[in-house]
Amino acid sequence: MDIDTGVVLAAGEGTRLRPMTQNRPKPMLPAANRPILEHVLDALVDAGVSELVLVVGYKRDRVQDHVGPSYRDVPVEYVVQDKQLGSGHALLQAREAVSGSMLVVNGDRIVDEGMTRSVAAAFDGGTALGVIREQNPGRYGSVEVAGDRIVDLVENPTEPAFGFVNAGIYAFTDAVFDRLEATPRTDGTLPITDTVLREIEADEGAVRAVEVSGLWADATYPWDLLYLTRRLLEEGRVRGTEQHPGVYVSPSARVHGTATLRPPVVVDDDCEVGAGAVVGPNVSLGRNVTVGANATVVGSVVDTDTRIGVASTLVETVTGENVDFGAGTIVAGGPGDVVLEDRVFRDRELGAVFADRVRTGGRVAADPGTLVGPGAHLHTGVTVSGRVGAGAEVTR
Amino acid sequence: MCGIIGCAGRGDATLETLVDGLRKLDYRGYDSAGVALAGVTGVDVVKKAGKIDALAEALADEDDRPAGTVGVGHTRWSTHGAPTDANAHPHTDAEGRVAVVHNGIIENYQSLRDELREAGYRFRSETDTEVVPHLIARALDDGFDPEDAVREAVSRLEGSYALGVVVAGVDALFAARRDSPLVLGLGDGANYVASDVPAFREHTDRVVYLEDGEFARVTADDWIVTDADGDPVERGVHTVEWDPEDTGKSGYDHFMLKEIHEQPRALRQGLGGRVDEMRGEVTLEEFPSLSPDRVHLVACGTSYHAAVYGARLLQSRGVPAQPFFAHEYASAAPPTDGALVVGVSQSGETADTLSAVRAAMRRGADTVALTNTVESTMARECDHRLYIRSGPEIGVAATKTFASQLVALNLFALDVTPGGDDREAIAALRDLPGDVQALLDSSRAAEVAEAYADADSYFFIGRGLHYPVALEGALKLKEISYEHAEGFAAGELKHGPLALVTERTPVFAMVTGEDESARKTIGNVKEVEARDAPVVAVTDGRTEVDRYADHTLRVPETHPRVAPLLANVQLQLVAYHVANDLGRPIDKPRHLAKSVTVE
Repeated sequence: MDIDTGVVLAAGEGTRLRPMTQNRPKPMLPAANRPILEHVLDALVDAGVSELVLVVGYKRDRVQDHVGPSYRDVPVEYVVQDKQLGSGHALLQAREAVSGSMLVVNGDRIVDEGMTRSVAAAFDGGTALGVIREQNPGRYGSVEVAGDRIVDLVENPTEPAFGFVNAGIYAFTDAVFDRLEATPRTDGTLPITDTVLREIEADEGAVRAVEVSGLWADATYPWDLLYLTRRLLEEGRVRGTEQHPGVYVSPSARVHGTATLRPPVVVDDDCEVGAGAVVGPNVSLGRNVTVGANATVVGSVVDTDTRIGVASTLVETVTGENVDFGAGTIVAGGPGDVVLEDRVFRDRELGAVFADRVRTGGRVAADPGTLVGPGAHLHTGVTVSGRVGAGAEVTR
Repeated sequence: MCGIIGCAGRGDATLETLVDGLRKLDYRGYDSAGVALAGVTGVDVVKKAGKIDALAEALADEDDRPAGTVGVGHTRWSTHGAPTDANAHPHTDAEGRVAVVHNGIIENYQSLRDELREAGYRFRSETDTEVVPHLIARALDDGFDPEDAVREAVSRLEGSYALGVVVAGVDALFAARRDSPLVLGLGDGANYVASDVPAFREHTDRVVYLEDGEFARVTADDWIVTDADGDPVERGVHTVEWDPEDTGKSGYDHFMLKEIHEQPRALRQGLGGRVDEMRGEVTLEEFPSLSPDRVHLVACGTSYHAAVYGARLLQSRGVPAQPFFAHEYASAAPPTDGALVVGVSQSGETADTLSAVRAAMRRGADTVALTNTVESTMARECDHRLYIRSGPEIGVAATKTFASQLVALNLFALDVTPGGDDREAIAALRDLPGDVQALLDSSRAAEVAEAYADADSYFFIGRGLHYPVALEGALKLKEISYEHAEGFAAGELKHGPLALVTERTPVFAMVTGEDESARKTIGNVKEVEARDAPVVAVTDGRTEVDRYADHTLRVPETHPRVAPLLANVQLQLVAYHVANDLGRPIDKPRHLAKSVTVE
């Protein structure tokens, strides 16, 4: 059946991705050289929706500025979720904007367009949910399936299990809004799964399971952005013209004749790559990035407007927007221990994370696993490790 | 300003198409609206003073609903006669055979009116337009066919016009233009006429631009462009790119705020492919290499402030350059003396600017159109074109297009005076979109606006390249908040305007860098501080100006040429928030129009 509307839940910050989310929500973080959200919108447009509704909240101007009033000729309407009270509460905010059938997805998880198409095709007027058959590491909701019907949903499984994982792709009619209203909140929040469970409890077999497969990836922690970028580069899901196999370069980018681009790599609009620089493999340069002469960038995602000083080396590095690296910056790459909130993640393949507008002087070095907060200023010659706070001034 | 829409071939949807078209034109500013459909025996007209909603309400009455499949509609911005139902367009002849909508000004209307009255034609409005339907009716009485009757009537007109005409019993729409834009839209089984593409953009992207002195006859499945003698003229069909959805607000309350936030993107578009930092070069597509001995920049309103900035920039690079108000330049042009004349107009249709550029062309000057609108009249008439590539701007108060104009003027200045080491300036331009984003992410302009929303007056001071930004900051605030504001060259304050300064007149001072100009402006800040005026410093923090300021609005550090663009974004936000706190209709301020197409 045709689905009228695609609803994207894009109101949350994504706190585990701090400090990258200081100025924008997680759906706007880079997955290769496009924000995660664009991949999500593509999957909905490819599934044939005729309008898009974006539920926005945290730093919503950044979503609105980027997507604008339409996406690939499909009109976009925005609704605001002021408080983050769960996915069901977010969807409920779209009530006035949606009539008829809808596909609902998360704005921060990349799904293959084949998945949204499958769920849309299986939709017959009753609720349908995309499920993936795979080992659940415990970080996704798990689903119990009998035939093509859903029997049970567990939002936060306590232990890893083999079976089906909730792909987070729902098809509903607008009757879902009444059911969401009627669902009691748990600790003040309302997950969509609670409403789906109530539907199953009231009518066993009411919710259809649609097995889907394909690219399905999200970022929970900052180093996941490197993984996402690698996956998307492998599949060629990047914006740019393929000049050689695996080398994608925008026509407006300027790459010096003596620079080397090693596939897979993408160089976005207005970038400048200086003489003798080596970029790749597994590197994404976002829009208007500058790579100084003789710099080396490997296995990294470099976001919009960042400048990499001459003779710098960045390995397994994640940068936010408008980071300014002085000459001879060294990030030697993982593995390293990463400290997030109160947890330590051991031996992660992460060189370092530099959030938006970090500035470094010359010859700054970062130990593996370092997280540098937005706007921090690392003065000439310092070596940083662990966590550096937002706006910090670090001197020798 | 006034808007025209006409269509043939929409069947029962004709009325709806006209009213929708008028809504799409509503951003131009207007004070009355109306439609006319051609019936078999007469034209059916409904028109109302006020908003399009008032017209829609009048049309909702089923019994009086006009019927017909060819029609015209109009939004009027008063020039001759008050905004009343009678003065609204369309205008008709006495018998109701002909209905006319008109943009522009008929300069000889008084003598035509006298002549027609003497011949027994009765007038019902105070408008200049009404002479047109009477002239057409007289030609019909004299035996002309409808198309020739329009041509005969137009031959009597002096002044500027874009005309849309329907005649009872004729399933065609007639159009004519001189010095006021008009464009045909070619649809599938239906064709359109409008003053501006958005009016019919949802129906088609294929358009034909009419030139001055041309006529068009449009039916459901055919169109023809002719000259004054009735001979056919070959006209190319263009495909327009702007998406109709670009006129949505993207979740913002106002177009103005949306457009302020769109600046990083607009600036990227304006710079894309044009700057090369590695080589320190600028390349402008389809723009010749010019090395003018002198430059005259002609413009009005916000574009004039861009012209002041552009002139200073060129002067700093050794090119004698002067900004002029276009309306003054048109009526009292200085010696061109071999100057390259640059018309700066967002729309490319600003009548005063066109008139100035034409005056320069008559004197043999080489001309450049610096505009946002491809295929606009100015772009087509000038010798060279430099597009600012800002994307459509709907808010009446110009924001992103001003920023894009300043970027384009930087590119122009670099292009016409090559040779120096411009890498630093080019690097600063490349950093500009990210710097604007940084500013937008952290601006405290809303707090400043709240603190001073009830001030008596607002003053803006700046020196050098910050002077035009002071002028623009004041204009923006005036336009949308209706509060009194003035911009001054910082050094001029003590020569008079200082007498206006009190504890109820906040003074916004632009201070960036730490050169002599910054130090002198700090001296001016101390002057107003000593007179108890609240001071808002717009600064990159390089100097101690915040010590003398009650509030500080920070801008990222950058090249001195680029700093004014950043300061301006803070002032745009202040103006927006002051107007919003006062509950003003921000996107459509009273008495103002987006592009001013009358002189």
